Amino acid sequence: MAPILGMHMANELLSVPVAITMLALAAAAVSWATARAAKAADVEKLPVMGVMGAFVFAAQMINFPVLPGTSDHLVGGVLLAILLGPWAALVTMAAILIVQCLLFQDGGLLALGANIINMGGTAVIGWLLYRLILGPPAAARAWRQYLAAWAACLVAVALGATLVSLEAFTSGVLQIPLKDFVAVMVGVHLISGFAEGLITFAVLAFLRRVRPAALGLPVGQFASPGKAQKLSRKAFAASVLATSLLLAAVVSWFASTRPDGLEWSYRDHRYAGSAAAIRNDSPLVALADAWQDKWTVMRDYSRREAPLGQLPPEANKTAAGKSSWPNIDGWGSLAGLLGTAATLGVLYVLARWARRRDDARAAPNETG
Amino acid sequence: MHHAYIDRFAQGHSPVHRLDARGKLLAVLAYSGVLISFNRYAVSELAAMVVMPLAMLWFGRVPVGFALRRVIILGPFILMLAMISPLYDTSLHPVVLGPWRFAIAGGFLTAADVAVKFALGVLALTAMTCTTPFALLLEAMRKLFMPKLLVMQLGFLYRYIFVLIDEAMRIRRARDFRGAAAAPPGRKLAAAGGVIGSLFVRTLERSERIHVAMGARGYRGEPHSLSRLHFGPGDVVFLIVTVAYLAACRLAYPLIL
Repeated sequence: MAPILGMHMANELLSVPVAITMLALAAAAVSWATARAAKAADVEKLPVMGVMGAFVFAAQMINFPVLPGTSDHLVGGVLLAILLGPWAALVTMAAILIVQCLLFQDGGLLALGANIINMGGTAVIGWLLYRLILGPPAAARAWRQYLAAWAACLVAVALGATLVSLEAFTSGVLQIPLKDFVAVMVGVHLISGFAEGLITFAVLAFLRRVRPAALGLPVGQFASPGKAQKLSRKAFAASVLATSLLLAAVVSWFASTRPDGLEWSYRDHRYAGSAAAIRNDSPLVALADAWQDKWTVMRDYSRREAPLGQLPPEANKTAAGKSSWPNIDGWGSLAGLLGTAATLGVLYVLARWARRRDDARAAPNETG
Repeated sequence: MHHAYIDRFAQGHSPVHRLDARGKLLAVLAYSGVLISFNRYAVSELAAMVVMPLAMLWFGRVPVGFALRRVIILGPFILMLAMISPLYDTSLHPVVLGPWRFAIAGGFLTAADVAVKFALGVLALTAMTCTTPFALLLEAMRKLFMPKLLVMQLGFLYRYIFVLIDEAMRIRRARDFRGAAAAPPGRKLAAAGGVIGSLFVRTLERSERIHVAMGARGYRGEPHSLSRLHFGPGDVVFLIVTVAYLAACRLAYPLIL
């Protein structure tokens, strides 16, 4: 589930100013976090935190079921913040995202800043919430730990999804109204945030039993091998209910601006030219239809000139042609394409030649 | 799993491998910036941008198929987002190519534009990482802009990813052998928590061992490296050609038309 719905921002969805702003923000946040982490911990030990980054990579290989038939994996931001402290976690998350970008090409080079803020910065906020709900760690009961992990992960993930939509919207590459974008992104990610909360709690419960020191708890007090910290049914039910309510709220918020399915297909068919088949000439319908068109358009955030699925008027078409491409000439663009192809051909031949020369130069060394 | 699984072409020899990592990093950064600065309807203007990543791959002796496979693996999420835009942007735009001319909804142009930019961006990034060993890339980042501490972290991260992935696989296999597949969902979740938890404990212990070992070898918080970066005349030429090429792609296109 998560890899498909991953939150990695891509270069292509960002404009240059937004990308640079986020890079600057991330650089400031990471350098501040580095200073804070160095103050809190043994400076010599900090580089070894990189091994913890590798741990997150490896932990992402472990899948677990959420809903029947699906499986999810850990994302790890909030868990890392709980285990390492927020500042070290932010630096480690930055390292993880840089390696994901460079070695796995996941998330663009220019989108790195956005990704560090979306995933690392929000994990710090999730951690704050976790500490607020948990209270003093030594006294926390299982239900409290569960609800704290659940809320932290849900908020961190939802916040990250909101930031993704905000950045994409501000960049203006995709012409999606902000409200729709936020609703879809947050709606989808609430489910993965819930799953993240579950697995984070499972790990914390295990560590509490096996290695309480890792959670900052006094050793021995909670170490009772064989007796796992059990998740109470009530806390679980409450979290499921709250997540569903949130999801329902987001979905209904999204649905309120969209035409329903029937209206949608009616418009689609009109667009396809089969208007006669489903036409209703009643003046009342026409009136209602006109009213609907008018108001749906006016309520919309987007800059589109015509209602969804309807051909814009002729005047519109020529205006668009004039404004977006001033000196359009079909033969010029064809020449550009052909020129590119020719350049590529020349470069390919050159590369082949360079390769053969390299091989010829290397061969005597190998034999000699 | 070998640690050089992903960047196995980075250890090769070619004119591109011999270029300084700093030059390549800056060139790919500039390329990405120019790439995303194109108008979202201007798909055809992107044609000339194909040249640089392909040339780097060809001269760098990296199979283009390998790079294209990366594009396909990473593509679905961005394509899903891109395919939303035709639903919203229905303004018509003329597409003219030689004798052919037709009109298309702006949303489709945007979707195609995002997809092409994504593919080119991944190709350029792959061309860089496949012709530069990761250690040299880190060294370049440290020399250019990145704090030392973060660079060292990146080094450890890179070194231990595949070690820990192997470790995770071992624990996962042990879990599966013990019949985790047949367990009820709650048990499965607890088992996954246990797997990740023990992985964490093992990682913690491993990092302690590494730290002690580093101390034994004289580490006092300062990294020592034999820098292998050398910025020569070839790199100057490479950067000048890149800048001229990018400027030509970006600025001269309306003049050709």
